[in-house]
Amino acid sequence: MRISTSSIYNANINLLNQQQAKLLHTQQQISTQRRILTPADDPIAAARVLEISQADASNTQYATNRATVQHTASLAESVLQSVTSLLQDVRTVMVNAGSGGLNNSDKQTLATDLSGRLEELLTLANSTDGVGNYLFSGFQGRTQPFVNGMAGVQYQTDDGQRMIQVGSTRQLAASDSGADIFMRVKNGNGTFIAQAATANTGSGIVSQGTVTNPALLTGNNYQVAFSVVAGVTTYSVNNTTLGAPVAPGTPIPYVSGQVINFDGLQFDITGTPANGDVFTVAPSTNESIFETISNLITALRTPNPLGGTDAATEFTNSNNHALNSLDRGIDKVLTVRSSLGTRLRELDALQSAGEDMGVQFKQTLSKLQDVDFNKAISDLTQQKISLEAAQKSFLAVSGLSLFDFM
Amino acid sequence: MGISVFGSGLSALNAAQIGLSTTEHNIANANTPGFNRQEVALATRLPQSTGAGFIGQGVDVSSVKRIYNEFLSTQVLQGQAQASKLETYYQQIGQIDNMLADSEAGLSPALQELFSAVNNVASSPESQAARQALLGGAQFLVSRFQSLNQRLSDINSSINGQITNSVTTINSYAQQIASLNKNIVLAQAAFNGQPPNDLLDQRDQLVSLLNQEVKTNVIKQGDGTLNVFIGAGQSLVVGEQPITLKTVQSLSDPSRLEVAYVSSASVIRVQQSSFQGGNLEGLLTFRSESLDAAQNTLGRVALVLADTFNQQHKLGQDLNGALGGNFFTQAVPLVNSNTANTGTATVSASVASSSALTGSDYSLRFDGGTAYTLTRLSDKTVTVLATLPQTVDGLTIATSAGALAGDSYLIRPTVNGARDISVVISDTSKIAAAAPIRTNASLTNIGSGRISEGTVNAVFPVNVNLQQPVSIVFDSPPTTFTVTGTGIPGSPAAGVAYTVGAPITYNGFTLEITGAPAAGDTFTVTSNTNATADNRNALLLANLQTKNTMTGGTASYQGTYAQLVSQVGNKTRELELTSLAQTSMVNQIVQSQQSVSGVNLDEEAANLLRYQRAYQAAGRVIQVANTLFDTLLSLGG
Repeated sequence: MRISTSSIYNANINLLNQQQAKLLHTQQQISTQRRILTPADDPIAAARVLEISQADASNTQYATNRATVQHTASLAESVLQSVTSLLQDVRTVMVNAGSGGLNNSDKQTLATDLSGRLEELLTLANSTDGVGNYLFSGFQGRTQPFVNGMAGVQYQTDDGQRMIQVGSTRQLAASDSGADIFMRVKNGNGTFIAQAATANTGSGIVSQGTVTNPALLTGNNYQVAFSVVAGVTTYSVNNTTLGAPVAPGTPIPYVSGQVINFDGLQFDITGTPANGDVFTVAPSTNESIFETISNLITALRTPNPLGGTDAATEFTNSNNHALNSLDRGIDKVLTVRSSLGTRLRELDALQSAGEDMGVQFKQTLSKLQDVDFNKAISDLTQQKISLEAAQKSFLAVSGLSLFDFM
Repeated sequence: MGISVFGSGLSALNAAQIGLSTTEHNIANANTPGFNRQEVALATRLPQSTGAGFIGQGVDVSSVKRIYNEFLSTQVLQGQAQASKLETYYQQIGQIDNMLADSEAGLSPALQELFSAVNNVASSPESQAARQALLGGAQFLVSRFQSLNQRLSDINSSINGQITNSVTTINSYAQQIASLNKNIVLAQAAFNGQPPNDLLDQRDQLVSLLNQEVKTNVIKQGDGTLNVFIGAGQSLVVGEQPITLKTVQSLSDPSRLEVAYVSSASVIRVQQSSFQGGNLEGLLTFRSESLDAAQNTLGRVALVLADTFNQQHKLGQDLNGALGGNFFTQAVPLVNSNTANTGTATVSASVASSSALTGSDYSLRFDGGTAYTLTRLSDKTVTVLATLPQTVDGLTIATSAGALAGDSYLIRPTVNGARDISVVISDTSKIAAAAPIRTNASLTNIGSGRISEGTVNAVFPVNVNLQQPVSIVFDSPPTTFTVTGTGIPGSPAAGVAYTVGAPITYNGFTLEITGAPAAGDTFTVTSNTNATADNRNALLLANLQTKNTMTGGTASYQGTYAQLVSQVGNKTRELELTSLAQTSMVNQIVQSQQSVSGVNLDEEAANLLRYQRAYQAAGRVIQVANTLFDTLLSLGG
């Protein structure tokens, strides 16, 4: 076949160009350390790189978010730890006070001590996170949640709980509402409260009682009225909400310490109630920890705290009431602390899972877009050899001419 | 006898000389583009007839002809038109490919920056620094959108420039071909129909160059002229007459140029589909196929981001206690009335549902009466709209009166999405990180009922009574409750049945109550005043990053952008490979063509020797004849 001389040159120039382009591409891959120089090099991998980069960046962001939750949860936990030990101290004081044998001046001293504790508790409840945000104020970060006023300590803010995204599908609470910790504490035994009426004159002391059958609970108010006729003490129970006597409807002989049992609940009364003494049973209501302590302070300061005549009995009833409520309060604080502990533990688990994922993402990204040096350098060497061979052979072929022999 | 020897010797000398100069011409033009090697056609002279038979009279040079294979040349033309189209398309799309090449310089880092900033606001909603960083992140994203879009717009303008260049080149080639036609006819007439080889080569070369700009068909005429046709049979050169092309503004989109004929004072537009190869088609196809798609997709990401972010932002509450406003400005769909429209109607388009947008452009045509025909340009889906306004693909199209049948409009819903996005908010306190309402359970509640935080319904405009205080008080027995507040239908609305966990919706909010509330238990919904630590709306904004808000709820912002990158990458790769394949195919054909018509220097060297020898031999013949004459003359002496 005839070959045109310019074809020899053109074909060789094309080939040399192509080989040089390949060589340059490999060289650029090595110098940029990227396998994908433009999306055209590997369109699918280029798109996946973008998706995984986003997942990786989000994963890093979640780590930052976790640090925020970790910070506020640890702060709240340390504040609530102080609250717990404070409440336990108060409890010790109350147990001592309830043991009897305290004279008025002892009680005054205890009252002064408890007043200090109350102030301390208020300060703890109004703790901030160091940059001016209250820890327990719900959504109103810059509003002081607990204010001590004429009506005792009031909660000024709201029930908001700030959630933070700590994983792609997980949000954790970064704050707890003060109302849930300090205010929503049920008094009595948590379901109902049995109390001595303020005008009682006997020495009847009522226990906190228990629920025997939740299904029978009515949520109504009751009154246990005592009458002493000819030395025989009897009582009858009335449902004051419905205005009807509770079965059996006839007076029951009173035995100190014997359980009084109706409508799924039971409690007992010890001591000697006087004629006309009344004990009420009502569903538990919320009583803040502050209120519990300040009620106790009032009881310690007042000779007859309930306004009756038997000071010792009244103090015992008040103290028992406070002790029950305080136990509920400590429970409440411990519950929140345990939830904080759970959150902190979950954060740790999420943290290590997040770090593992970060490593995975980086590995995948590296596999997708980073150059494999072994392969690239071996390619480079091979392409260099081919180019050199092409150059040499071109010189050899183009050097052949009949004119040289003329 | 001696005379005839002289005669034939001279003819041989002459033939060898012509052979030498033709060889020399071939050597000289070995590298001239479009040159076809030439050959001397020799023929024996008419012999002298004698009784002794026919006695040869020497050689005649009948012609110098070029070695030209029309079949191969046509094949080269066909291959080259396709190759130059692919090559141009590849070079153009390579610009977009390079723009998207660096994952650090694309859209994703800016998207990430925005949503990291939103997350940081969610972590510390009261922090001015975090809020300022969010505005910075939004600004960063907006300027990234704008600069990517600007790059695409620049490419669009440069396409206009290249089309103009291409048309100028085509006109110049057409003119040259026409004048060569004229010269060839003249030359042939002047020299007894001998082919003017070098003029023919020049004309063929011009046709080949023209063919690289736009696919060309040629028809040879009897008089030696060449008629040139482009596109779907439009003539460009007829005999000695060239026809002029020019660029004109597109009727449907004034921002782009189209090609048209200038023919006796009227302008005839050439349909893009009638070009079937060459640079010009490469440019036009790139513009309509890849550039528009890239700009529309980028614009769609910007538009949907602005829309969804704004909607969520408007459901929140800023630091001043007011409902959030727009965070980003959102582009409006572009509607171009065809400049050839005769009616006076104005068509407008607005986004009804950004997630349903397709990213395609639409052409709307008025059919008369009230009916319109809407064509989605990406897949040519035709929808007949009996009346306007109507909503199609998330786009509401409306019109004023005055359209005349045949009027048409080009609707480009997302093309300006990336150009027109900007950040509206400059005051950090206007960032709506909080929810506008909060719920509260009264501390005196006895039952175990709990109220959820409540959410704002995504209905626009937001209910005016959203932030009015509402109370929900449980009746006795607590199987029903009473709702009181401004905006509650029939307030106080008593006896609403209580179902545990069922959604309770009033005044544009929805909440749930769970557990067993007791009679008299009270729950309230109030305006979320002083809520510096509330991050509920910021969390919802942060969730938009991974939410499938695009393409009918199947893709996220980043997913759509990644799709664009992969589409451009795929197309570039495809063009790289096909253009490489096409070029090497053209090279093969050119090689075959050159093997016939090209100059081989070794061959020419041999020819030089051949004609040199022939010349020497002819010289010797003359010498012999001379000697013969001398012999005769000496006889007489």
